[in-house]
Amino acid sequence: MKKALAWRWTPWVALALAAVFPFLAATLDAQYLVRVGGVIGLFMLLGLGLNFTLGYAGLFDLGFIAFYAIGAYTTAIAMRAGVPAPAALVLAVMMSLAVRALLGLTILRLRGDYLAVVTMGFGEIARLTINNLDALTNGPKGLQVAPWRPLAFLSADPNIQYYLLILIAVAGGVIASSRIEDSRVGRAWIAIREDEIAARLSGIPVRHYKLLAFTISAAFAGLAGGLFAQWEQFVTPESFVFWESILVVSIVVLGGMGSIAGVLVGALVLVGFPPIMQWKLSADWINYRYLFFGLILVLVTLFRPQGILPSSRREAELTS
Amino acid sequence: MTFRKALVVAAVALSAACGPKDTSIKIAVAVPLTGDMGTEGQGLRRAVELAVEEANASGRFPYKLVAAPYDDRADPKEAVNVANLIASDPRVVAVVGHYNSGCAISAAKVYARAPVAMVSPAATNPEVTAQQNSADWAGPRMVFRVVPTDDVQGSYAATFASKKLGKKRMALLHDKTAYGQGLAEQFKKTFLEQGGKIVSEDGISVGDKDFKALLTKIKNDPSKAEGIYFGGLYTEAGLLLKQMRELALKHPFAFISGDGSMTFGLFDVAGDAADGAYLSIVGVPADELASAKKFVEDYKARFPNDERKPFDHFGYEAANIIMAAMERAGGPDRVKVIEELRKTKHQGVLGTTVFDDKGDTTSKIVTMTRAVAKKRAFDSVR
Amino acid sequence: MLVQQLVNGLTLGAIYSLIALGYTLVYGILTMINFAHSEVLMLGAFMALGLAALLPAIFGEGLVGLAGMFVLSMAGAGLINVLIERFAYRPLRHVSRLAPLISAIGVSIILQNGVFIWISTQSLTFPEPVAIGQVEVFGATISSLQVIILAAALLLMAILHFFVEHTKLGKAMRACSDDIQTAGLMGINPNYIIALTFFVGGALGGAAGVLYGMNYGSIKYNLGFLPGAKAFTAAVLGGIGNIRGAVLGGFILGFLEVLASGYIPNGAQWRDVIAFTVLIIVLLVRPSGLLGEKLAEKV
Repeated sequence: MKKALAWRWTPWVALALAAVFPFLAATLDAQYLVRVGGVIGLFMLLGLGLNFTLGYAGLFDLGFIAFYAIGAYTTAIAMRAGVPAPAALVLAVMMSLAVRALLGLTILRLRGDYLAVVTMGFGEIARLTINNLDALTNGPKGLQVAPWRPLAFLSADPNIQYYLLILIAVAGGVIASSRIEDSRVGRAWIAIREDEIAARLSGIPVRHYKLLAFTISAAFAGLAGGLFAQWEQFVTPESFVFWESILVVSIVVLGGMGSIAGVLVGALVLVGFPPIMQWKLSADWINYRYLFFGLILVLVTLFRPQGILPSSRREAELTS
Repeated sequence: MTFRKALVVAAVALSAACGPKDTSIKIAVAVPLTGDMGTEGQGLRRAVELAVEEANASGRFPYKLVAAPYDDRADPKEAVNVANLIASDPRVVAVVGHYNSGCAISAAKVYARAPVAMVSPAATNPEVTAQQNSADWAGPRMVFRVVPTDDVQGSYAATFASKKLGKKRMALLHDKTAYGQGLAEQFKKTFLEQGGKIVSEDGISVGDKDFKALLTKIKNDPSKAEGIYFGGLYTEAGLLLKQMRELALKHPFAFISGDGSMTFGLFDVAGDAADGAYLSIVGVPADELASAKKFVEDYKARFPNDERKPFDHFGYEAANIIMAAMERAGGPDRVKVIEELRKTKHQGVLGTTVFDDKGDTTSKIVTMTRAVAKKRAFDSVR
Repeated sequence: MLVQQLVNGLTLGAIYSLIALGYTLVYGILTMINFAHSEVLMLGAFMALGLAALLPAIFGEGLVGLAGMFVLSMAGAGLINVLIERFAYRPLRHVSRLAPLISAIGVSIILQNGVFIWISTQSLTFPEPVAIGQVEVFGATISSLQVIILAAALLLMAILHFFVEHTKLGKAMRACSDDIQTAGLMGINPNYIIALTFFVGGALGGAAGVLYGMNYGSIKYNLGFLPGAKAFTAAVLGGIGNIRGAVLGGFILGFLEVLASGYIPNGAQWRDVIAFTVLIIVLLVRPSGLLGEKLAEKV
């Protein structure tokens, strides 16, 4: 298992398999899994994003879904105003980054769980504002988004189109994450997370680096939100509740904080599990779906407290 | 026990929970079966199960029908997941669902591509059916709705408040959902047209429990509201009524709401305080329609431990309308069922249901009822 | 109208405070957010409902039966909290700071869905403990229920204060809260004290659940989530880990909510936005909450 993961071609094989899968789905009688795979991909993006804040910089964020919402609503509003879809995605990313940077400038002096509560508050503020600002967002009734059909030359099925688009985004996100992780910036984050005072004494501008990690996160969330809005062709505030923020935190912690492979596996397990149960459980058991989900959360945490695939660096710390 | 062993145990436990493959024909019930809206979804599931069981018992169909439950958790993302699952299962003929407008709008786009008919028992946002007229709509028009949109009930209640009760000044409350806000907006529009005045307008959140501050404000406001119109569901309506009584806001101060509040659950939440609340219902009350009376009795006999939820009769009707269309179509063919649904003229628990070209029910009959806590009943007001 | 709103705020604040105490006690000792606390609250209310059907036969109607229902539900909720700690948190105590949080979320999901599946999928009527009467005071209508709730909450807070400040066990709790390792060296069994803290916190949560059921007259499987999240906010507002801070935060939040929906036009729908904005501002000025101590910590 360990060996297979360490093999340098593993990510590429996984990517190739994931890219081929939707074209085989029809023969495997598993078209449903293309949709599920796309949703898992969106949460992989969210997880990769939060990993910067939580995994690298060690900042606890319980309101991350707000930036997913900002991305989705920016895309929807821009496209309704006539902005072409790819440009709307860029706008979504920029908007999320801008709001996140402003928020970070204001609240990053807070520590630990105080930060968690303030971000939770911001998540709720964002959702309620979207729900209440009827003039801009149409409130609880939601916004329709015109269809955008990217990659139409590959398949006519929108699920396959968005699955592939999201896959490309996830692959890009993974590459970006690992590049940043191995850079000077990434090492500075690890230093801050391990010992903030020592890092500061070593000449790392802590505030600056924390803000950077906090802000970069939003780019992933904004992109995921934009793709979500375009795929569903409809956005409503119901999609951005507190529970979704918790889900993203669980993905990062359960997968392995600071571990890119861990976050991917975390999203695969936590986001994939309920829809698979929906598919496989019989009618008598359908009500038990989230009971089982809760059990999985507890059991996996108890058996793998450092995460399913902890980052090698963290594992070394924890076992030493 | 190692991690891997635990996984194996979990997998075995799960596979035990998976049912064997069968060959019956399915009517999907795609509603929230868990989560915060689980209560309402479970009611709809029971109603559709009842309709399907009755059809099987009557021997109308040469094959066995089942009501296949799908849980959308009131989350649009899960609703689309579910819609994809349903669309890819050729044994599903049509869908009763979804409960929330947000879920229904997103999921309908997936059903349209299949195509498979969706008959919504509860989603009242006009957009659920109106979106089919957009140029972007990919697929046939296959959305139907047995529950009328918000405008019908909201304006009926407004006319009732001003003409029957003689109210001039009303306070408006809604739960900031597509359903509640839609009702309240329509109430406001009609009430203003009739020369009334809306003295205040407030949104609450579903799940809120304490409305005393808000009610105190309404009570002490110098503009002296003569009643409240509430757009929302029975849990919040019940708490509002209960707290109105605690603050001594009583008759002739009126409380008017829509069918989302007209359910026995209202008595569980509000107790005696529900007495005298006015609640509108679409169609004719069950006691005055023979077919509806039978539904009420059958439901009670089949599910003695569960009371009906506000949209159950719509779910029951949706299932029956689908089955009638299947019968006319001569078989469980998705496309033919859509065509037959369009020609629906169904006599059932809601009276006569006919769909207009958008797929909305043309029934505009609304009846106002008054809650009587002692009898746990709603008496219609003439 | 102000008197009326203040009374409304007091009742709401009393319930928030009781719940916030449960969060803050656990946090003070383990620096962990007990995410499952909202479910303990819900279970407390359900146990009280079950007992309300049984107890009159044993204790008779009236205040004795009411007190019996209260004490037993509190004990039950406390025990549940202890069990949660034993099986879901203790194995993770020294492993990582966030792992217990995830396991707590899992427990919370299990408990809520368990009640949904096995007990009831709908709202259940909570019996009225006493006949509800109203008195007019300074133009405000105060119901006997509000008086009972306020009295019960204040009594419990007084008992907690006495227990923490003036008993040996309370002293041990404070010692563990200051420094659990040193307390262990001084001959205090930390596992015992942690279990005790979870019991006390859970019992207060259970009491809050019973009061919640009485106040709103009906209970449902998901009733814990919203007040839980709000009370947690209140605990943070007051300075998490600080007992007096939790009480203060609870009442402030109660008043804030009442004032926002009572005085601001269209305030009800912006109420939570206002409450959270105040929270953020307070924390920016006082980063450890109103009464919290300044401490360096890391995630």
